[in-house]
Amino acid sequence: MFYQSRLRSITLILALGFLAAYASFGSYFAREIVIEITILAILAISLDFCAGFGGMVSLCHGAIMGISAYAFTIMSVKLGLPSVPSAMIGLMAAVVFSGLVGWVTARTSGIFFIMATLAFGQMAYTFFFKSRWLGGDDGMGGIDRFDLSWLGVDMNDALVFALFGIAVLLLVYVIAAILLRSGFGRILSGIHSNENRMQAVGINTANHKAIAMAASGLMAGIAGILAAQHTLYISPELLIWTVSGEVLLVVILGGIGTLIGPVVGAIMLVMLKHELSNYTDYWHMIVGMVLIFAVLAGGRGIFGQIEYWLITRHPPKAPHLPPAKEKDLA
Amino acid sequence: MDASFWLLQFLNAMQYSMLLFLLSIGLTVIFGLMHFVNLAHASLYMLGAYFGISVSALTGQFWLAFILSPIIVTLIGAILYFTLIDRMRAAGPMNQVLVTFGLIFVILDLVRLGWGDIALGLDAPDALAHTVSFWGISYPAYRLFIIALGLTIMISMWVVLARTQIGAMIRASVENADMAASLGIHVGRLFFVVFCFGCALAGLAGVAAAPIFSATTTMGITILIPTLIVVVIGGLGSLEGAIAGSLIIGFLETFGAVLLPSLSAVLTYILLAVILVLRPQGLIPARG
Repeated sequence: MFYQSRLRSITLILALGFLAAYASFGSYFAREIVIEITILAILAISLDFCAGFGGMVSLCHGAIMGISAYAFTIMSVKLGLPSVPSAMIGLMAAVVFSGLVGWVTARTSGIFFIMATLAFGQMAYTFFFKSRWLGGDDGMGGIDRFDLSWLGVDMNDALVFALFGIAVLLLVYVIAAILLRSGFGRILSGIHSNENRMQAVGINTANHKAIAMAASGLMAGIAGILAAQHTLYISPELLIWTVSGEVLLVVILGGIGTLIGPVVGAIMLVMLKHELSNYTDYWHMIVGMVLIFAVLAGGRGIFGQIEYWLITRHPPKAPHLPPAKEKDLA
Repeated sequence: MDASFWLLQFLNAMQYSMLLFLLSIGLTVIFGLMHFVNLAHASLYMLGAYFGISVSALTGQFWLAFILSPIIVTLIGAILYFTLIDRMRAAGPMNQVLVTFGLIFVILDLVRLGWGDIALGLDAPDALAHTVSFWGISYPAYRLFIIALGLTIMISMWVVLARTQIGAMIRASVENADMAASLGIHVGRLFFVVFCFGCALAGLAGVAAAPIFSATTTMGITILIPTLIVVVIGGLGSLEGAIAGSLIIGFLETFGAVLLPSLSAVLTYILLAVILVLRPQGLIPARG
């Protein structure tokens, strides 16, 4: 079950405030980092939505993001559509793809689900990698950002774009929180805890899982549009499975099943990466060790662990305990 | 496209299938026996290639490298087993995927630290450095050796699993570990032996592949996905499944690349999707 507890609200405000301040008072480079964080955080929220609350540990979220970015670029660059309708089509492509993946894999669970999503993601990656029309492994450029000049702001300014990214991140968080608090979200949590029981209650669990994947795909698609507009260039690198693995890492690092944890995780990972790459070329190794440690330490993640401490120390009147551990994913 | 063309492609497909088999058999038996998903299995393959190149460079002897490299990889595997893998056995697939994903990163950077980012080559041993001509084609002897090696291991594994006592113990433990344990089989020790054997085969595949493809830091990640597909298509935990899966993928990718170049990249994934939908337990699962 998802609760927007006070601790989570405070953390959200602090995180977004930190990002806004870092972008406002920082250099051009800091603003680039903030945009990178918002994209990763949106993608991580999207993955937490289906993995943390629906038990669907997907390894194709990078691909969903990439499909949205590609569809957006095809529409706006190849076919010359304005950027807003192109973005809508991009989101639609992401929703359709992830909904289809969710529908096909709805009856698999555990490792089979992970493998299946891995395969579908790689399928999309290979498709774009081999497609000459879409630039193959060179990718495509010539992308424009949204035109917000009617608001009097220039999106090509790094600060404006960073603040736009933060606003979109907040929007995605709110969408995810509303969905999770709705009846649908409760059913999703129910499926996660005990799928057989939900079926016995009369829920079509396969449909719900497919819809949850589609909703998650919408959020990943938003990250894709933002990613395409950030670098103004896309390549199949966006879709490769290690991207999805890294997103899963962010979710675990921050705290799976907390929704705000992934935002914290994204801030930590991107900061860590940039700090480490100043000192060493081998930051992958340190990130890998952090990941192994995070799982061995109990798998609650940074935010999840803090929340767990606070709640066990001061138990609230209602049983607000977050799910302690992933027990029965198998 | 005459007969010699088909024969050539057949041999290429066989050689690729055998490499996939050497990797997937370890992965599938480890999964079937221990319910452990080891994404880092392909990193051990990469280590096998690099250690092989180093041993060969130090001693100048290919065959020594061919034997020593799998042993070194097995030792590394044993260390991993006691530090991480044994602990993660009950942790569920997501945590296993995460930890071994982290291991991929760590091993990747260790290899970059140790051997650098440049692709390294290994010469085939002198005895196999020539090409063999038969039935109107000429084919590198070393590649024929790979095919023979794969077939030998395939047959001997079948004999061990189907005809010996330890094979019966492994099959029983895959089928039902609790029941096997209560019949007096030391399942934990068996797991360890099988895990080490899987690591040795991965190292062997690595050193065997080094003269054909040069050793690069991406070779592990590149071969991981086809290997996982072989395991899922064949059915987790079964030798027959790994044989069938590696032949299917090896032939599909090789012939797909020459016959349907535009489609070939996606063919494997389509096959996997179809199998996952129609037969999610795989073609020949270990547990009926």
